[in-house]
Amino acid sequence: MGTAPSQPTSTTQQVIAQGDELRKAGQTQQAIEAYLQAASSTEVPEAALCLKIARCYSQIGDDDNVRHWAMASLDDGDDFLTWQGVTGLVKKYFAGSWSGFQRQARVAILGSYTTVQFKQMLAVAAIKYGIQLELYESDFGQYQQDIVDPDSRLYRFDPQFVILATHAGEVHLPDFTDDPTAALERETARWVGLWQRLRQRSKAKIIQHNFALEEAVAMGHLATRLAGSRYNMMQQLNHRLAMAAGNDVAMVDCQRLSSLIGQWRWFDPKYWNLSKQAVSLQALPLLARHTAAVLASELGLSRKCLVLDLDNTLWGGVIGEDGMGGIKLGQGSPVGEAYIAFQEYLLQLKNKGVILTVNSKNNDADAREVFQKHPEMRIKLDDIAVFVANWQPKPQNVQHIAKVLNIGIDSMVFVDDNPVERQAMRQFLPQVDTIVMPTDPSLYVRTLSNYLLFETSSFTREDAARAQQYHARAQIAELEQSAGSIEDFYRSLQMKATVKPFDRFSLPRIAQLLGKTNQFNLTTRRHGAGELEKFMADPACVHYALTLRDRFANHGLVSLIIAFKRGDILDIDTWLMSCRVIGRTVEAELLSQLTHQALAMGCKTIQGTYIPTAKNAMVQDIFAKFGFTRTAEDHGTTVWQYDLTRQAPITNDFIEKVGRLDDEADTQTN
Amino acid sequence: MTTHEQLQEVFQTVFADDSIELTPQTTAHDIAQWDSVAHINLMFSIEQAFGIQFAGNELAEFANIGELEKYLETRRS
Repeated sequence: MGTAPSQPTSTTQQVIAQGDELRKAGQTQQAIEAYLQAASSTEVPEAALCLKIARCYSQIGDDDNVRHWAMASLDDGDDFLTWQGVTGLVKKYFAGSWSGFQRQARVAILGSYTTVQFKQMLAVAAIKYGIQLELYESDFGQYQQDIVDPDSRLYRFDPQFVILATHAGEVHLPDFTDDPTAALERETARWVGLWQRLRQRSKAKIIQHNFALEEAVAMGHLATRLAGSRYNMMQQLNHRLAMAAGNDVAMVDCQRLSSLIGQWRWFDPKYWNLSKQAVSLQALPLLARHTAAVLASELGLSRKCLVLDLDNTLWGGVIGEDGMGGIKLGQGSPVGEAYIAFQEYLLQLKNKGVILTVNSKNNDADAREVFQKHPEMRIKLDDIAVFVANWQPKPQNVQHIAKVLNIGIDSMVFVDDNPVERQAMRQFLPQVDTIVMPTDPSLYVRTLSNYLLFETSSFTREDAARAQQYHARAQIAELEQSAGSIEDFYRSLQMKATVKPFDRFSLPRIAQLLGKTNQFNLTTRRHGAGELEKFMADPACVHYALTLRDRFANHGLVSLIIAFKRGDILDIDTWLMSCRVIGRTVEAELLSQLTHQALAMGCKTIQGTYIPTAKNAMVQDIFAKFGFTRTAEDHGTTVWQYDLTRQAPITNDFIEKVGRLDDEADTQTN
Repeated sequence: MTTHEQLQEVFQTVFADDSIELTPQTTAHDIAQWDSVAHINLMFSIEQAFGIQFAGNELAEFANIGELEKYLETRRS
């Protein structure tokens, strides 16, 4: 049986044909059985078959299966007709009260071309990532008017995100100029000016599609050598806009996407002439997927951790049978080179903050020996945060890894060459994203790079150091088991912290934490960078960010609190903490600082609010734990007060307060 | 699959309506959702499904489905 996406065999085709006949005859239930039989013969059934199954279920009113098979059809690729078929099911099956979404977002699409189809595709791509969109679309070509007019429908819609879906034809740059600097400055200023107007009038985060290059270059190869050619200036413009975007504007790199699939496929002049499609219909699913992935990362839905198999995933062959000399890895054989390329790509992911872990069916010593002794191994044991090689079922190991790292199962991605292991993972832990790997290891890098939920909205020092921090976390989990009392354990960590008001250096990391922290997050208010700047300018706002180090690692900025003075009450608007430092009194540290500040400001009460979500049950009792009294409750939301006139300030003895963390000595921990 | 069956499937997918039954006499007026956007989607989907390219807005020039099917048959063989 095929393990990768494949054409159905002839018998499968016959079974599908039988299903077609049954469906035509009105025997829907029997048709479904035939289709399901055909679908079970491959890991990724054909999109058209999945759609047929979805539609049959639609006829018999089995909504859950309609949704399941509609989404399954998208796994077969970026085919426009398939996606078009799914858009037809969105209104009925993915709207309103369906509870399967992790996020909702109001998104405005401001386009310079016909964006009807893009809008539909974006809704589908977002559903795939667990996001329900409420969409607004500007009238054809009216993106500037919508931004400039303060009374436009756009602002009444009050979007959380604005996507500027603009194309190269909209760029005001001449074919050639003697003064490219001036032309570029003018054009950059025009776009940045639109962003600024948007930000003055809306809290929305902007997502800018940058410009795919035009395919016809009259100046030919000479154009690359002329600073004043439009060809050169278009690339410069993309660069300048990216630099101007900073952390405030997210970019979707259409220049890269168009070269990825080829400019002749990205743009179809016939469809531009017919209906002003600046991105061809066949490229829209790809563009929609990438745009939705950027949205997902802004909404905190990116995945954090890669769980890797070893045999035939990181090297060719089976270490337990072939031995160190027998496995294929390294120069000299095409297969060996493919595994090196894959390992190097995995290290790139690690360096941008993805946690690498190992989950392998092997003797632990055999597996580790490859990392320690094989000269061609690119990945070392230190790169792996949690290393599990045993004979337990892999889903069980994934649960163990999640527990050690203290991250959700739904932030993990599983990579294994074995379709049986993948099936087991999908079946027992459907929250894990299981990637269907191709049989040829040469295609591993491409397959993984086409998985988009490692997209992140910013890159900070914390991201670069994350793997090491999680490695340290795993060591701490062991220490915890060996330490005596919990107090001894806290002291043994030798924790040091700084607590400081927000500043412009810490702002990107703070915005990132606000965007993605789910578990230790009392109110889950996703303030953006713009709001944070307002808070910082507001004298009634108290804001602290905490950075932490311990004997194993510098964890960087891991917790923050935002509160507002209202009369003699200091009201906590936001309080969150990265899950990797939960369970070591950091919460007491920040609250201690807050009580002292409240007293200094003459407040009599500290007030806190807990707003329940699907993820934050772990903090529902946190105010009670610190001696707050519950004063109100409404639909699960609880309000708590701490009486500073009667209760002593909160203190914490386990973390040493320092002015700054010494960063020099913390890169090596072992 | 015959040309007729394949075309019908494209229509059903594009319009998300399994009840669409094409006959040689069917025209754009018989399908309520056949607006200008659907026309473009349909045109592209037919091109993909049959591996052909229409010249310009050729699709709008067929009098009915019967003519379109005949055209697809000739392009196919």
